[in-house]
Amino acid sequence: MNNIENMLLELKDTSEFMIDLAYSSLIYNNKEIAEEVEDLERKMDVLSEDIQEAVVNLGKQQPEEIAKMSVVIRMQMAIEDIANAAASIADVVIRGLGDHPVIQMSIQESDVTIEKVVIDEKSIMNGHSLAELRLGSHCGMYIIAIKRDGKFIYGPSKDEVLHAGDLLIAKGPDEAADFFIGLADGSETEL
Amino acid sequence: MSEDDHMDLNRIEMSVQELLTEMKDISEVIVDLAYAALVYNSREMGQRVNELEDEMEELKYAIRVKALLAARTLEDAKQLSGILQIASAADRISHAAGDLVDLLEVPSDKRPFITNLINESDEKIRMIRISPSSEMAGYTIGKLGVEANTGMKIIALKNRYGWTYDPDDDVKLRAGDDMIVRGTEDGGNRLAQFASGKLPWEWDEDEEKEEEAVNDE
Repeated sequence: MNNIENMLLELKDTSEFMIDLAYSSLIYNNKEIAEEVEDLERKMDVLSEDIQEAVVNLGKQQPEEIAKMSVVIRMQMAIEDIANAAASIADVVIRGLGDHPVIQMSIQESDVTIEKVVIDEKSIMNGHSLAELRLGSHCGMYIIAIKRDGKFIYGPSKDEVLHAGDLLIAKGPDEAADFFIGLADGSETEL
Repeated sequence: MSEDDHMDLNRIEMSVQELLTEMKDISEVIVDLAYAALVYNSREMGQRVNELEDEMEELKYAIRVKALLAARTLEDAKQLSGILQIASAADRISHAAGDLVDLLEVPSDKRPFITNLINESDEKIRMIRISPSSEMAGYTIGKLGVEANTGMKIIALKNRYGWTYDPDDDVKLRAGDDMIVRGTEDGGNRLAQFASGKLPWEWDEDEEKEEEAVNDE
């Protein structure tokens, strides 16, 4: 059961991350990010199959767990639907239909904003890890992706150290956006 | 659903952009709410998920009609088809959230792992009560900027009037209110300290606080 739980956890976290990435790809009409969503979608398919296989095997060994197993399958299917929906959003960008002002504006008007900033030399973020900065707890912005040397790092780990020149894509409440932009350009000096 | 036969006229008056914004917002909050309903075994929250699911359905029909009315050229139609695809994806997310809360019908001893699972996620869901000694008491969610200051999103709030889901910025927090919040463990711990009064709230500008404290009387 533990192994199944871990797989389901990964499925859940990935599905949420995919939604963030999919909306990010839309707001910047960025095919590279959209393609990452599609890659994750393929990983989700494999993971979903692994879960189903593990559930069937466990059901054979422990028939008394069947009721729980059916809950796992129902949850896996709902999460997979969410992931598929995210991929469908990304598909709009990949097919070149994402470049419409209504799309960008409707996401900007949303309660949750997605911001793109570049870290300046004098930013307090320069040279610090995400764990040290704790941006989420201190300014409500959560880093979805970092672009460094032309390559994206999706869902960066806490140990990731930020550097001047890094481009960050972050999600958070509307009112946190200005402060976050200030942190990146160096005009805000305290977290 | 028979009520879907008549389209909500108010929604038809909304622009495609407004409709899409609302659909995106619902698609994000509905999943949080579904997981929270499972963690707290709350049929009431589950009910709210189903209501949002119905609302999403209506928005989907409205945006289709608006998009069809707006298309005049092939280029229009192509662009609008992209918008409809996003709208349809948002709708699918809401149905997936509905499927998640359907699991509430399963006896809770058959799904004990769900709570653990959700609480091991990167973003956790927890309930935090506002203590009378908390500096947060008496201020609105917007004035405090709860999410901007702690990274924790208030999914639901229980106060003397009952539950409010996805509360607006102008909702005031009071001592004794229970907040169901979602975010990182670190952010949750910080918010718990503010809410218990162990830590004073970190105001951005002191004068803003004074101003509202006076208005509150």
